[in-house]
Amino acid sequence: MNQKMYDLCKWAIDTSLKYGATDCRARMSRKRFVEIRYRDHKPEVVKEATTRGLNLNIYIGGKFSSQNTPDLRQTALENFIKKGVENTHFIEDDPYRSLPDPKYYAGRTEMDLQLADSNHGNLTAEQRHDVAKTIEQVSLDKAGEKVISVEAGMNDSEWEEVILTSNGFEGAKQTTDHWAGASVTIADEGDRKPSGYFWAGARSFEDMPSVKSIGEEAALRTLDLLGGKKIKTETLPIIVENRVVGNVLWGFLSGLNGNNIQQKRSFLADKKGEVVASKLFTIQDDPFIKKGFGSRLYDGDGFPAKKRIIVNEGQIEEFLIDWYYSRKLDCEPTMGGTSNLIIPPGEKSPETLMKELGRGIYITGFIGGNSNSATGDFSIGIIGKLFEDGLPVQSVAEMNIADNHLNFWNKLTAVGNDPWKYGRWLTPSLVFNDIVVSGV
Amino acid sequence: MLTPYLAGSMFTQPNQTQMGYFENEFGIDDQLCQMLLEKALSQGGDFADIYFEHSLENWLILEDGKVNRSYGNVLLGVGIRTVEGNQIGYGFTQDLTKESMLSAAATAASLVNDSAKPVAKNLNSLKIENYYPFDPSMIDIPLQSKLPLVKAINDKCFALSNNIVKVNAGFHDSTKRILIATSDGVKAEDILPRNYLYASTVGEKDGRTEQSWYNFGGRRDFSYYTDEIVTKLSEEVVERTEKLFEAIQPPAGEMPVVLGPGVTGILLHEAIGHGMEADFNRKNISTYSTMIGKKVAEPFVTIIDDGTNLNQLGSINVDDEGIPGKKTVLVENGILTSYLHDKISAKHYGVKPTGNGRRQSFEHYPQPRMRNTYMLGGDETPEDVIKTAKNGIYVQDISNGQVKIGEGDFAFYVSQGRMIEDGKLTAPIKDVNIMGNGPKMLENIIMAANDLKIHEGGAGWCGKGGQRVPVSFGLPTCLVKSMTVGGTQQKGGAS
Repeated sequence: MNQKMYDLCKWAIDTSLKYGATDCRARMSRKRFVEIRYRDHKPEVVKEATTRGLNLNIYIGGKFSSQNTPDLRQTALENFIKKGVENTHFIEDDPYRSLPDPKYYAGRTEMDLQLADSNHGNLTAEQRHDVAKTIEQVSLDKAGEKVISVEAGMNDSEWEEVILTSNGFEGAKQTTDHWAGASVTIADEGDRKPSGYFWAGARSFEDMPSVKSIGEEAALRTLDLLGGKKIKTETLPIIVENRVVGNVLWGFLSGLNGNNIQQKRSFLADKKGEVVASKLFTIQDDPFIKKGFGSRLYDGDGFPAKKRIIVNEGQIEEFLIDWYYSRKLDCEPTMGGTSNLIIPPGEKSPETLMKELGRGIYITGFIGGNSNSATGDFSIGIIGKLFEDGLPVQSVAEMNIADNHLNFWNKLTAVGNDPWKYGRWLTPSLVFNDIVVSGV
Repeated sequence: MLTPYLAGSMFTQPNQTQMGYFENEFGIDDQLCQMLLEKALSQGGDFADIYFEHSLENWLILEDGKVNRSYGNVLLGVGIRTVEGNQIGYGFTQDLTKESMLSAAATAASLVNDSAKPVAKNLNSLKIENYYPFDPSMIDIPLQSKLPLVKAINDKCFALSNNIVKVNAGFHDSTKRILIATSDGVKAEDILPRNYLYASTVGEKDGRTEQSWYNFGGRRDFSYYTDEIVTKLSEEVVERTEKLFEAIQPPAGEMPVVLGPGVTGILLHEAIGHGMEADFNRKNISTYSTMIGKKVAEPFVTIIDDGTNLNQLGSINVDDEGIPGKKTVLVENGILTSYLHDKISAKHYGVKPTGNGRRQSFEHYPQPRMRNTYMLGGDETPEDVIKTAKNGIYVQDISNGQVKIGEGDFAFYVSQGRMIEDGKLTAPIKDVNIMGNGPKMLENIIMAANDLKIHEGGAGWCGKGGQRVPVSFGLPTCLVKSMTVGGTQQKGGAS
């Protein structure tokens, strides 16, 4: 644990209590990051900085406020805290508002999640420039004559936080991230200039995929968009590609959220224990994946992280309820947020699934749209490929799918073997049958 | 085609509190600015600029009948940029000590490796107009003054309908103080207020649940938030929720679409405006890259991006590169006349900057961004426009818009609207997307009514390149010949 950050949090809590707070949570964070971007074989952006900040949650009985500041000079900070406490007095008393009962802090798993690369500090400017430069060149080569523009880049950061509460919670976390990728624009028929992208990341620089594969993937994904047009409105099977599953999944998850349930904005509020989706639909939350982007040992309330099943074979097992909304709902808290979200993969690749389906749409991107957490209705624009006889035949654009989550997830008929690696949601490609795809 | 009520020329007294703030509070004088600029150009570059920011933000939130939480946020720091051609070196720091700022300037300077370039000998204060005048006593509003406003919304919403089961409301305000100094000798200071009052309601009726959200605000002072605004906001959000109980999803497919006045201007912003931002065009990745001087719309179409509208959210007295607030005609009588420029693109095209160089904060470098984007009204009445559409949908409010710049394709979520049947507005609609292609949609606007309205909201954000800036938009009632509507035609939605 960073001792300076710990000491500052401790001082901030003591100062808050001195000015009249009855409880306090202090969180200090620091981030160092570098960004390099290349276009036309030269650096387009070189950016580097360190940021820091203190967040204070102030409680006076059931009165609550939360304040952030980057100004850590002691006098300025003391005035900031004093004013924060004074302002909290004007907030109305809320009997449900408090720091969590400390009994819920107990039982934290102690393990090394390997979230910080100790070699990060050795990464040189030359290495970063090389990554961006090489990705740009590979994308240019792969996209060939049709290329208009390639913007390639690398960014990386190291981050750390310390959290203390006046009722005994202590937590610390350190991470590093490395990301590299490219956006590619190519010439299509008429004035159309499709743009595609691919970015990949890892906690350690040495775990990054090869720059060649990143550059090629960005170019190939863009070339796949050539000739995009809408086709007639039709009911078809769809395959949602692994990296964009989250664009529809979040709408379902919003119905599990404690805030939405308590505020009567959840279409799933009365569905706990019920089967609401296909047997193939299971969601797990695993905070203990080494080097995972969502891995953690404690959550936002300070509760010990735990593995859990949220949806099991279509049945809702657990809502996402934090400390505050558990008090309002008069139930035990679960955890408000998720860590690494997993839909367990199947055995077939998207290509095999396409062959088995024969004709349908392989959705590789979503655009616009929304999901209504109160009703479960959603509508979202799609981008992808029409496939026939198991092979892609036509890029599609300007099309849409609309459904209700209580219908949609029951239409899940197959799960791919390709969980997405570069994010907190490890979702494989998913197949849904009988979806109305709107176009001409 | 003038829009006199949008003009701000009669309200141009400078805000008294905007000058000398950073010098008084943090000792940032001209000599220090010059030193930082010299450091930024110490290894060459075309120009450099520095951007100081001190922002205070507050949120006050009501839930379950109580104003039970407040959030506060402080932003303080400086961003230093070195520019060589279209290349950017950027460093920033939250620590306003000379050493730390010189280090940030050295980061920016590391972009180039040449001999030092000179900076202007003196910094001259830029004279700017004032498009958001406010009473200085109305800045830093005490929390206890805002609380009754938020409480009143709760009471009014519940009084308006027995179907309302939950009310959330809140007040957000921020005050952003900035100081810009450039290597060509310009110094500009400003205070940008931004605030809004919002309400959201959940209603239940006959086993159905519906929700709505609305807000009023802009770059205003506290005197704007009267009882009248509280009543208007409460009535608007409750009416929207009630209407959804009768809403259906329209049939899927292509059909005429009438865009109602005001907030539907988001469509203009997303589907067309972004394609006219000059960085996308100088990189040749916008569909409008070769269209300057060419016909892009019917002759009655004139589109403006304007930083000078009184109290509107996208108004700026000065942009974040030190260019005074301006009004830019993008499309005049159907012809594309200008892009939206920052200094880099203006130099690329050999034109003057249009005052569109904007950034989210000192942690970000400027990009060409929109301000208040709107289309001027036509000669028809809204009723005539709806009648001409005959059968289709009427879009009253949209959200969650997204556009693909290179293709021009877009999708928007219709949160409020109606069916148009036999030239008349009929059943409410909800939860559908409209999709299309921006340039095609602009060509397909075949009628515009005389009812241009700028959205009077304070919560409109535009995201681009990982940065968000406040904007507003406006539109008169317009008829688009054909767009794709993504519905299912089931009463009460798909459920």
